[in-house]
Amino acid sequence: MKLKKVLAVALAAATVASSAMCVQAEETISLTLWGAEEDQALLGELVENFKAAFPDQTFDIQIGVESESTAKDTVLTDVEAAADVFAFADDQLSDLVNAGALASLDEVGAALQVAGRTLDDVKSENDEGSVAATMIGDTMYAFPMTGGNTFFLYYDSSIISAEDAASWDTLLAAADGSGKKVGMTLASGWYNASFFYGAGFTTGLNEDQTTSIDWNGTSEAGYTGVDVVKAMLNIAGNSSFMAIADGDISNQLASGGLCAAVSGDWDASAAQSIFGDNYAATKLPTFTIGEDQVQQAPPYGYKFVGVNAYSENAGWAVVLADFLTNEESQATRFAQRGLAPTNLNVQASDEVQANVAIAAAASESEFGVLQRVGGKYWDPSQTFGEMIAQGTLKADDDAAIQEALDSLVEGVTAAVG
Amino acid sequence: MASEKKEGAAAAVGSFFKAIGTFFSDFGTAFARGDAFVKLSALWMGAGYARRKQYVKAVIMTVLEIAVIAFTLQFAMQYVPKFGTLGTVKMEKVFNMETMKSDFNDYDNSFQILLFSLFSFVVWATAIVVWMKNIVNAYRLQQLEEAGKHINTFKEDLHSYIEEKFHITLLTLPVLGVVIFTAIPILLLIFVAFTNYDQQHMPPSELFTWTGFSNFLSLFGGGGLTVTFSYAFVRVLGWTLVWAFFATFTTYIGGILLSLLLNSKNTRLPKMWRTLFIVTIAVPQFVSLLLVRNFFSNGGIVNTICANIGLTGFLRDIGLVSTSYIPFLSAPGWAHVMIILINIWIGVPYQMLIATGVLMNLPADQLESARVDGASKFQIFRKITMPYLLFVTGPALVTDFVKNINNFNVIYLLTQDVYVTTNQAMANSQAKEVDLLVTWLFRLTQEYYNYKMASAIGIIVFIICALFTLVAFNRMIKGDREGTYQ
Amino acid sequence: MKKMKSNRTSTIVLHNVLIGVLAVIWLIPIVWLLCTSFSSYSGMNTSTFFPETWSAVHYAKLFTPDTVAQFPQWFMNTFIIACFTCVISTLFVLMVAYATSVLRFPMRKPLMNIAVILNLFPGMLAMIAVYFTLKTFDLTNSYIGLIMVYSASAGLGYLIAKGFFDTVPRALCEAARIDGCSEARIFWQVILPMSRPIVVYTVISSFLVPWMDFVYAKMILNAGISEKYTVAIGLYKMLDKSLINTYFTEFCAGGVLVSIPISILFMIMQKFYVEGITGGAVKG
Repeated sequence: MKLKKVLAVALAAATVASSAMCVQAEETISLTLWGAEEDQALLGELVENFKAAFPDQTFDIQIGVESESTAKDTVLTDVEAAADVFAFADDQLSDLVNAGALASLDEVGAALQVAGRTLDDVKSENDEGSVAATMIGDTMYAFPMTGGNTFFLYYDSSIISAEDAASWDTLLAAADGSGKKVGMTLASGWYNASFFYGAGFTTGLNEDQTTSIDWNGTSEAGYTGVDVVKAMLNIAGNSSFMAIADGDISNQLASGGLCAAVSGDWDASAAQSIFGDNYAATKLPTFTIGEDQVQQAPPYGYKFVGVNAYSENAGWAVVLADFLTNEESQATRFAQRGLAPTNLNVQASDEVQANVAIAAAASESEFGVLQRVGGKYWDPSQTFGEMIAQGTLKADDDAAIQEALDSLVEGVTAAVG
Repeated sequence: MASEKKEGAAAAVGSFFKAIGTFFSDFGTAFARGDAFVKLSALWMGAGYARRKQYVKAVIMTVLEIAVIAFTLQFAMQYVPKFGTLGTVKMEKVFNMETMKSDFNDYDNSFQILLFSLFSFVVWATAIVVWMKNIVNAYRLQQLEEAGKHINTFKEDLHSYIEEKFHITLLTLPVLGVVIFTAIPILLLIFVAFTNYDQQHMPPSELFTWTGFSNFLSLFGGGGLTVTFSYAFVRVLGWTLVWAFFATFTTYIGGILLSLLLNSKNTRLPKMWRTLFIVTIAVPQFVSLLLVRNFFSNGGIVNTICANIGLTGFLRDIGLVSTSYIPFLSAPGWAHVMIILINIWIGVPYQMLIATGVLMNLPADQLESARVDGASKFQIFRKITMPYLLFVTGPALVTDFVKNINNFNVIYLLTQDVYVTTNQAMANSQAKEVDLLVTWLFRLTQEYYNYKMASAIGIIVFIICALFTLVAFNRMIKGDREGTYQ
Repeated sequence: MKKMKSNRTSTIVLHNVLIGVLAVIWLIPIVWLLCTSFSSYSGMNTSTFFPETWSAVHYAKLFTPDTVAQFPQWFMNTFIIACFTCVISTLFVLMVAYATSVLRFPMRKPLMNIAVILNLFPGMLAMIAVYFTLKTFDLTNSYIGLIMVYSASAGLGYLIAKGFFDTVPRALCEAARIDGCSEARIFWQVILPMSRPIVVYTVISSFLVPWMDFVYAKMILNAGISEKYTVAIGLYKMLDKSLINTYFTEFCAGGVLVSIPISILFMIMQKFYVEGITGGAVKG
């Protein structure tokens, strides 16, 4: 890489002059692609389709395993060794862009003309929220792959009616009679933020990559952070509530002790197999602050396919990334893996409309929040959730709650470094 | 005793410097008194050998010299001149539609500059030593020739490497391995502690540069960057020391007791029992520890059983737990005790093996005479067995302690992803109550790319270990033990 | 007389019962591992100690590779890496130990002191630098790189072997020297044959390294190609949050399969191991 010299001026002219036709099949184009363990078979199939779509080129495409939730860690350890094309969850976008690991699609997106497409096609084919989530400023950095990366409520309809599932109070009361519990993860900044977002609080990412957060003040809706924490403590303190460690929900579902659980589409099969015919899913319930019922608003995220900024074959990597997320591929992905599409046409198909989990997630898209935070957000917010889960904070001690919120804000807003 | 050892240490340091001094004075004499060819060796390293008809050696030295020069010009000069700034050119790229590739500028990578500069320094240092040694050798050959003595043929020279120079044959490769895979990486990380290599300054897209002592200042509450860092540091350091102490001594004593139990005359089938205990060593730690972690997790099997037999309820009643489960590995206090207990489970069989071996070597005559004198079993243990054990395994105890300070596996496997701190000040520094300094620095590098702070912590760990080792060895080791048992 | 005898019998019984109780405590997790690996349920069973239905289906699954679990391949990879690591490490350790124990040369003490100092640094810290060193030589994602990481620094762990060599009577070396043996022959033909316990100890402990390590392996085999994994990372990845529920039992089965050969190795070598470790550790 060091040996390459800038030919910028000459190339700028050449780029304009050249057309898609100029690209000749001379060399083998080697690319590596990372996707989740569960997606390996699917990716293998999609890559074959990709090769078939460009019969003039010879490709050598290696598929590796890298979970979407940890892609950032592996990529950032050594960007140059990371895959040319990789899938990742939206919360990693800012860190990846900040480290210069993602190619700007505005720049390399021109390569799509090889496939007879443009970046605008991508933007118009996918739903607005997903496209907005791939952008930082005005620059697009990834292709939307799946939507509904959020959580909602699974429940056993033999114990909990649809009306019960509408609010935490009725939900917990219904569960109380059954001897089973309602499970949710509190010790995670992804889950517990839903209470704060619901009450009108926000988080955001500043220019210098620090996180902004206002939870220790008063929200636009007029609630204080202390109000929200008290509401959470009331739920967590209910004997029918079970605080579950991050990632342990499916386990607890499978063990049969839960009649309802807050989780995402990855637990759909676990919930389906344990609830059987009574399997149901719906949007998150409302919670009580004073007299008001406040809708819990989850982070509503996506999964993306991005192109490594240091890719040797950046152009073809973009074409591959686009192919993996086009309409046909999204349809295949839904058919095989049951993951929510972002492509508008696929979203509109009957099969997708009939999927319970996707419907539940989709119903949250209107109040779900695009959570964009820096790296310093996660540890303090996880600890804060654990304090609520363990009852370290008491609902009647306003001063202590305020103090805890202040420390949370202090930790989250700390300088990056 | 301590002062005696100190003198010993001082003498060792003294002789080390003396050896260096001798080396330089030898070089001086050689260069001053050598003939033209010895002096020429300073420029052409093969000159002295060629003059004394050691042609093969002359060729080897010449090739070596050319290699070093080539290395310097081709490789080192790309990096070393930038060592002072760690690079100034940031990465820029332009996408070229024609080739479907991105074209990069000739950008600097601070990390590579640092690593390869160090590498070059090591190569050069070695080259200088070889160069000086070469002149000394050339002069020695001159002296031999002047005295009319026999000058070795190449074959004889080669032969010397399995004779008086056998240590060079033995040590070259292992030392090379250690230099490349341990020494240079450690040196590098020492340097990183004085830079601003963190998430905001990550190569290849960004550059990092020297910042002096600011990382150490913020570690000790100065810097202002991280308010809670020094708080977390003190806590983590405290637990690291407590852990190292208990982990070392519980397994040590447990191992001795278990081996006494197994080797007692009353034991039936001692071999079978011993084998059963050894099975726990044979299961790889990442399997057994991850298993135990799930075994004791909040929703795990042990908790289910405890809840079923009413233990959880009982503990709630007496106020030991406030949750609906027993937080074996998820609350401070509980987790600390459990980690040490689980470490006993892991470590005792291993120590038992060692103790068994040592006990087999117990001085039999002493035991016999004590028995004749009518000493009780306990007396024998206290007066003979234990002092012997302590004497023999004392140094191993010190190394065990240092190993436990750096015991990554046990803590990481038992607590990663499971333990959530409720201490906000710790969380704000990405630390947990159960973290050792090493696990903390591992997470700082793996999850937060905070290499500068991790390196600073690493240096502190080293200083602690060094201090401890120095003090402990001074107290425990009386004089030079080598050869005592031959 | 009779009373004393019954007293003694009861002591023996008590004594053995105590050992039995301890053994049970030590073996509970192992038994759990074994039982769980024979469960027909693929997730983690948190309600009962023994599986509800027994089956060996997950062992069968281990040998019918899917994209996640390619156990036979991993096992082979690890075995190959372990063999090379074992040979190189053992040689390095014995060479350094012999040089520092038997031979006398000017740099001996300084080198030993440097080794002590190097051992005090937390190795985790050096990992990233090791990675980039390997990358420079294009050795990441290769077994050669991994073997080098496991064995190149092995020389630093020479102390136990040195302690053992220290106990070998020097008179033997002297006698051999008088007989005209070269230093190299003394090493190979006099000292090594006498040091079987420490050789066995070194061989076993270096053979085990690749089976146990998941940190370095994960870092160096970072291309995510599952069939290139070692057993340790392969199994470790099965406990990923998204996989643990489908692969927990398979993880247990894999753990059992890895432990069996190692346990057998340990049982056979137990005697040497104890002798080697104590010959060395005691004089470290």
